[in-house]
Amino acid sequence: MIIKVRYFGQLQEVTGKSEEHFELTLDTTASLRRFLKTLYPKLGTMNFKIAQDNKITSDSSPLKGQLIDLLPPFSGG
Amino acid sequence: MEIRYQRHIQLKEIGIEGQKKIRNSKVLVVGAGGLGCPAMQYLTASGIGTLGIIDPDVVTLTNLQRQILFKEKDLGRNKAQSAKKHLQKLNTEVTIQAFPFALTHENAAEIIGEFDLVIDGTDNFYTRYLISDQCVLLNKVMIYGALFKFEGQVAVFNYKNGPTYRCLFPLPPKIGEIPNCSEIGVLGVVPGIIGVYQATEALKVILELGGILSGKLLTVNLLTHRNTVLDFDKNQQEIDKIKKQGKPIPIENQDCFLDFEVSLTQLSSKEKIKWIDVREEDELPRVTHLNPINHSTALDTLLESNKKIVAFCQTGMRSKIFVQKLKNKGIENCFSLKEGAAELKKWNQKSQV
Repeated sequence: MIIKVRYFGQLQEVTGKSEEHFELTLDTTASLRRFLKTLYPKLGTMNFKIAQDNKITSDSSPLKGQLIDLLPPFSGG
Repeated sequence: MEIRYQRHIQLKEIGIEGQKKIRNSKVLVVGAGGLGCPAMQYLTASGIGTLGIIDPDVVTLTNLQRQILFKEKDLGRNKAQSAKKHLQKLNTEVTIQAFPFALTHENAAEIIGEFDLVIDGTDNFYTRYLISDQCVLLNKVMIYGALFKFEGQVAVFNYKNGPTYRCLFPLPPKIGEIPNCSEIGVLGVVPGIIGVYQATEALKVILELGGILSGKLLTVNLLTHRNTVLDFDKNQQEIDKIKKQGKPIPIENQDCFLDFEVSLTQLSSKEKIKWIDVREEDELPRVTHLNPINHSTALDTLLESNKKIVAFCQTGMRSKIFVQKLKNKGIENCFSLKEGAAELKKWNQKSQV
């Protein structure tokens, strides 16, 4: 399955990208999180939510979305 | 009222009835900064009944690049009080209350309790979780906004028992994980736009209009114009945790909130500083020539002092609590020394040489 992953906020700085495509088959969003943390070790310590097709899901959710958004909390005000 | 708010009243979605709802509303803005200022300007112009402004900080030169409510002559003055002064000129019909101190776990229930909804214009997670928890406990709506460089996030929490900030981000970021307010740059217009989004959502809640960002996170990127609305669910467990506790749960990460701590390396011996020893009289070493005072009786005299106030103790813990109390009393130019009395004594001896 081809998925598009979009990075928000400081995750763009960690990955050096605003978005990218992957062809992979993974069972849950937790697996995707592990995959991305291996690819970008700096993500390992970061706190972010994963949305699939515009819906923020928990880590135990099956990975079935084609548009994945990674969202860290923002602090500035 | 009819003429001033004619453009509102002309809208069939608002009308006279809607304008009355606006006039009867009470909005608290926490943080009179990049987000809070533009939100307050539009809310004041819209004719809300009562506006509360809470902020312990003073206007600094770096604020003026984006906090366009303030003028150069406000430099060094408390933000809540300065904002009140300018906003009152914009609309004398609005009752404006300035709280020139920090929102804390001690005062949050009382202050938030007086308002219908809270605009989160803070720049730190500590206060943001405090607002969220307190809004859950008092059943108030929280209008969230935050930013990072060219991006912003907006959402409405606890709307008709909807999801809260903890439902979206149950895990507070670890210390140092997210750059804090003063560490990152921001294009001046970005908080302006996000703050106006917050004012828009506040008015929609007051007017009971549709399309409120409840259970939805709006993300805005002003560089790419990639804007997204993401749905998220309520997490009843997170909400019950707060309700069971009966009071807000402080998070460990106090990021910007503790910016009032100061280290000896940040101080100059040439600066005029009023030192306050918050230890008991028999604790050693004494730093005698630095005018230690009896801190239980000295608060009133401090109010009259224009000098920078730095409190110290053995380890920097008690002085932190003491300074928080001063801040709550509206004393602005006060700091807590990170080091203890022993280091201060050494520093002082060195600077005498």
